[in-house]
Amino acid sequence: MATRKPETGWHGENSDVNHLRGRAFEATCLALTAFGLVSVMLLLLFVANDAFRPLSADVGWLATYAVTVVVPLAALAVYYYRLDEPAGEVAYVASGLPVVGLLLTGGFAVLFTELLSVLEWFALLISLVAAAGLIVAHGRLRPKAALERLVVVLLAPVVTVFGLPPTRFNWLVTDAAAALGLDFGLYYRVISLREAIMLLPFVPTDWVMLLLTLVLPAAGAAGWFVEQRRESRRDGLAVVGLTTVAAVLGVVAGPLLGIGADVWLLVVTFAVLPLGVYVEGVLRRGEGVRGLAFPVVAVLGVVAGSLITGALGFAGPDPWLDWGFLTSATSRTAADAGIYPSMVGSVMMIIVIVLTAFPVGVGAAIYLEEYAPSQGLMGKFVTLIEINIGNLAGVPSVVYGLLGLALFIRVLQWPQGSIIVAGLAVGLLILPIVIISAQEAIRSVPDSFRQASYGMGATRWQTIRQVVLPEALPGILTGTILALGRAIGETAPLLMIGAAASVRLAPNSFFDVGSMMPRQIFSWSSELEPAFRHGVLAAGVITLLAVLLVMNATAIVIRNRYQRTG
Amino acid sequence: MRDNTMSTETTGPDITSRPSGRAARERMYRYVLLLCAAASILVTVSIVVLLARDAVTFFTLVNPVDFFTGTEFLISRNVYGLLPLLSGTLLVTVISAVIALPTGVAAAVYLSEYASDQMRSVLKPGLEILAGIPTVVYGIFALVYVTPFLQAIGLPVNTFNILSASIMVGIMIIPMVSSLSEDAMSAVPDSLRRAGYGMGATKFEVTTGVVVPAAASGIFSSFILALSRAIGETMIVVVAAGSRPRMLNLSDPLANLFQGYQPMTAAMVQINSADSVSQLGFTSLFAIGLTLFVITFLLNLLSNRIAARYREEYE
Repeated sequence: MATRKPETGWHGENSDVNHLRGRAFEATCLALTAFGLVSVMLLLLFVANDAFRPLSADVGWLATYAVTVVVPLAALAVYYYRLDEPAGEVAYVASGLPVVGLLLTGGFAVLFTELLSVLEWFALLISLVAAAGLIVAHGRLRPKAALERLVVVLLAPVVTVFGLPPTRFNWLVTDAAAALGLDFGLYYRVISLREAIMLLPFVPTDWVMLLLTLVLPAAGAAGWFVEQRRESRRDGLAVVGLTTVAAVLGVVAGPLLGIGADVWLLVVTFAVLPLGVYVEGVLRRGEGVRGLAFPVVAVLGVVAGSLITGALGFAGPDPWLDWGFLTSATSRTAADAGIYPSMVGSVMMIIVIVLTAFPVGVGAAIYLEEYAPSQGLMGKFVTLIEINIGNLAGVPSVVYGLLGLALFIRVLQWPQGSIIVAGLAVGLLILPIVIISAQEAIRSVPDSFRQASYGMGATRWQTIRQVVLPEALPGILTGTILALGRAIGETAPLLMIGAAASVRLAPNSFFDVGSMMPRQIFSWSSELEPAFRHGVLAAGVITLLAVLLVMNATAIVIRNRYQRTG
Repeated sequence: MRDNTMSTETTGPDITSRPSGRAARERMYRYVLLLCAAASILVTVSIVVLLARDAVTFFTLVNPVDFFTGTEFLISRNVYGLLPLLSGTLLVTVISAVIALPTGVAAAVYLSEYASDQMRSVLKPGLEILAGIPTVVYGIFALVYVTPFLQAIGLPVNTFNILSASIMVGIMIIPMVSSLSEDAMSAVPDSLRRAGYGMGATKFEVTTGVVVPAAASGIFSSFILALSRAIGETMIVVVAAGSRPRMLNLSDPLANLFQGYQPMTAAMVQINSADSVSQLGFTSLFAIGLTLFVITFLLNLLSNRIAARYREEYE
């Protein structure tokens, strides 16, 4: 041990002892950093084991898939990590895109089976387009009439989507229609364009309507995107043409393979088209092309694995989390229990949140970043708002539930446990998170952009709409997706507003009582039977976490792609 | 209505193609956006007003002194004492703090002072994942996996116990402590560290003797925020901590850990979901909720104050 000489007492003299102490400290810190992570990873492994029960499979089954899927993918991953990082990024996105696309497909499929028919969707969309057309046309014809346009903006959607309430004028219209022998069945009320479309005696088949309202707009957007990127109108048109051909071919050939026309069109819109555009981009840039091998190897491996195990007769595992779990309602017997109705509830709740909290949150962020004065009475008010938002982010979720209970159910007398109340209560909860993340995104747009826009004579709103928001959009999207992830997992507010412990039938209106995934999981957690505790419960947890994982991965990809560097 | 203002706006020189009405529209957007921003104030106000409305009803029937000092909470007998619920909340907060505060600070020290870029790129998002897992999932972890584990290693824990719930709350709030503390440590200017090295101090001495004390107020503010989060945590304790309000047993402190308790948040959920609750019992929900809101709100304010103070130090 170093001895201390009084005459040379410089600080680091006994450095061999200090080294040991420093090393020990660093190791302790690292161990403590890893403590939480490792324990949660272990717990997740336990849950995943309960949900998938891999050990219930034959050894041969496990070995086959290890050889055909796990080993090649692991080898590829190591290769990307060590030697070809751009390819790793490509592999990540190219494998993730179809997953996200299929998730969206599932969401829309649920929407069309539970919430509104394809015809209703078609009518609604056409009416909204007509309303937008009216507003634009008014802007062109009478560019100077601002107040008039305000009226048009407010009235056009009402007329096209909802129709006019009974007035004396309407009697004339309906009477005249009746005199002509037309009976709309809706007396004393001018029906909207939407209702008129619904009443048409002949409508196109479902797949034609989906083709017109989903596939073609998506293809058009992708075509426009490609046209911008390659500066070639022909390529853009090629995208639209190819997509349409693929869609129609699938509709014709789909029944042979057992794929419904509607599902195929959704798959084309949300999975095939984005993946195609992405792959085309990667191939053209020529950077990280090898990353495309990853999803191909994965698919080939699964196909090969299933062929081999089928031929050799190896039995697969009997997981709790299977197709039946995802598509059936909960049940008293663990083997039949499923999560489907509460998934529908979660999807509908997310729709409510996206339609309410998202616009209000982004609007508030725009005001606070772009308009808010820093001086005077208004300045003080704005400071108050900022402090208040920070504090609201720290209010416990159960208090938001109590607010929802008091405001929507006790004061406004809305149905207890209905999806709209759940969406609004959880929406209030994530509002501060949306505002704060949108503020950060808007703040990161350089001021020079705004000054350039003002210099061109743009007004403040034009600058925000044309310059700031497009630049800030990836950041806003990232923050919003993360906030929605938080919203999907929130349980306490759902308990307070009385969301159903479990429902047998999926809700089909926003005012129906619904259950949501975490609420359903919570009600399973009070079952004592081991089959529930270590089976159904684990499957529910993994489903919820998988949805969250996909959402967070999407947010991270958006962030990495569009991150402002420097 | 707005004709008057419009005409005054159009008197200026027109340099754009569609000048008139634009100013009115600009103003309209401004007010709509202001409304969005003001909505957050509305949320706070409605929380306070709506919670207070029913809480006042409750306090006209139950003496506030009895409520805040009562040692028994039994809705079926109309006995409303907050202390058993507070005991549960206190226990959760203390145990989770014992786990999360040292761990979080150690993680912050490691990430800010020691970690290589590669380690950071793994550990930091990893810690963020801990904060992103839904709390009901943590509750299930506690009930289904941690409690049997504790029983297996020989601790005399009940099926519902405060210990496993608090461990999970602790793990959940680690990222809150670590990320805010790390921000505070990164904000310590490098010149302070260099001065330390210049005096011949080792990295360990600089870290513990310079960086941590300089970031103390930020670390402290992260502690308070994490505690506030633990106090308000609901689902973990609802799932795993049981549903019996119980007073702290001061004569045998260790035995407390192994029993079930019912913190304030869990009591709120139980009152709300109970089948038959008297009107008075139902309004007690709002009294507890208001108490919880006030406690967490004050803690958040305090944390902001402390954090704001330390920011002034170096800028």
